[in-house]
Amino acid sequence: MTEISETSESPESTEVPEPGESGATGRPAGSGWRRWVPFLGVLCLVLGLGAFWQADRARDVDHVGNHAVVDATGTAEVQAAVSQILVRVFSYDYSDPEPTQRAAETLLAGDAREEYELLFENLRQQAPDQELMLSAQVQVTAVQQLSDDAATLLVFLDQASQRTTDEQSSVSAAQLSVDAERVDGVWKVVGFDPL
Amino acid sequence: MSQTESQRGRAARLLDVLIPAVGVLVLVAGLLTWWRATQHDADEVVRAELRDTVLITATSQIETMNTLDYRDVDAGLEKWQDVTTGTLHDQIVEQGTEQAPLLEDQKKISQGHVVQAAVLDLTEDTATVIAAVEVTVQDGTDLEAEPTVKRHRYSADLVEVDGEWLLEALEQVAVSIS
Repeated sequence: MTEISETSESPESTEVPEPGESGATGRPAGSGWRRWVPFLGVLCLVLGLGAFWQADRARDVDHVGNHAVVDATGTAEVQAAVSQILVRVFSYDYSDPEPTQRAAETLLAGDAREEYELLFENLRQQAPDQELMLSAQVQVTAVQQLSDDAATLLVFLDQASQRTTDEQSSVSAAQLSVDAERVDGVWKVVGFDPL
Repeated sequence: MSQTESQRGRAARLLDVLIPAVGVLVLVAGLLTWWRATQHDADEVVRAELRDTVLITATSQIETMNTLDYRDVDAGLEKWQDVTTGTLHDQIVEQGTEQAPLLEDQKKISQGHVVQAAVLDLTEDTATVIAAVEVTVQDGTDLEAEPTVKRHRYSADLVEVDGEWLLEALEQVAVSIS
């Protein structure tokens, strides 16, 4: 019956609107757990947002330093890119050296570019006389290290060379350790080491 | 007055329900997202660890398979058996006894060394690893002579058998230009 006496008093007490009290019309008011419900609600809200923030942080923090194989798409992407680059720069046609030259200029960088120039300098001079043809083929390639914009690969490369002048042809097998870097979204070979 | 009073009451009651409801909803969604974020990462960590384990195991096993001393062929072949399974294992067991005298007669000491290796494919219990291998061969009759070094390209298939990774196939990657 206390409730009734409280309600009858409330018009006077409107000047002091206490949330718990005013919402208590016709209910066991003031005292009790209901008073705390909004606060608990806000607490849940804050904790919930905190959890979202933690989730975001967990996604940002990278516990996997090396994404080779783990990131299947990224691994396949760099495998394909590096295979293509090596085939293009290690294939050569004396009658049409332009595509090889262009590939080397655009797809090799850093040490790889310098080393390649050393390798091909003599070759380019002799190629027309020898009528030299080189055709490269990647047998298999696997990724050892992979991050967002750098990768190390092991490549098994075959290269057939033909010299029309002395009818010599040979096939060689190579094992290469290849370093690649992604520049503006494009994978480039920056280093290769014959093993 | 009494009307605004009851409106205020209703609004307050709505807030009483709405705030906790939204709060609980956000909390549940937040915790779920958090859990999924860490879970996803945990899966990747496990897979990265498996990749590294397989690579280390395969490297040592490929070296074992390229190592043999004519002075103790039996011990060498036993090691080959220990790191293999399936058909490859059976082949070594079957041919081992036949070829042991032959291997002893050749008087060679071979030592395999994996220069570089990488995992090509990986599932929970199968894997393919490629390796560039250097084999140093010493002539047993002339230990003073300079050993010859041979380079090989290998592709190895591994399977997990009772918690242990073993070689199921080991083949050289042949030159083939098409």
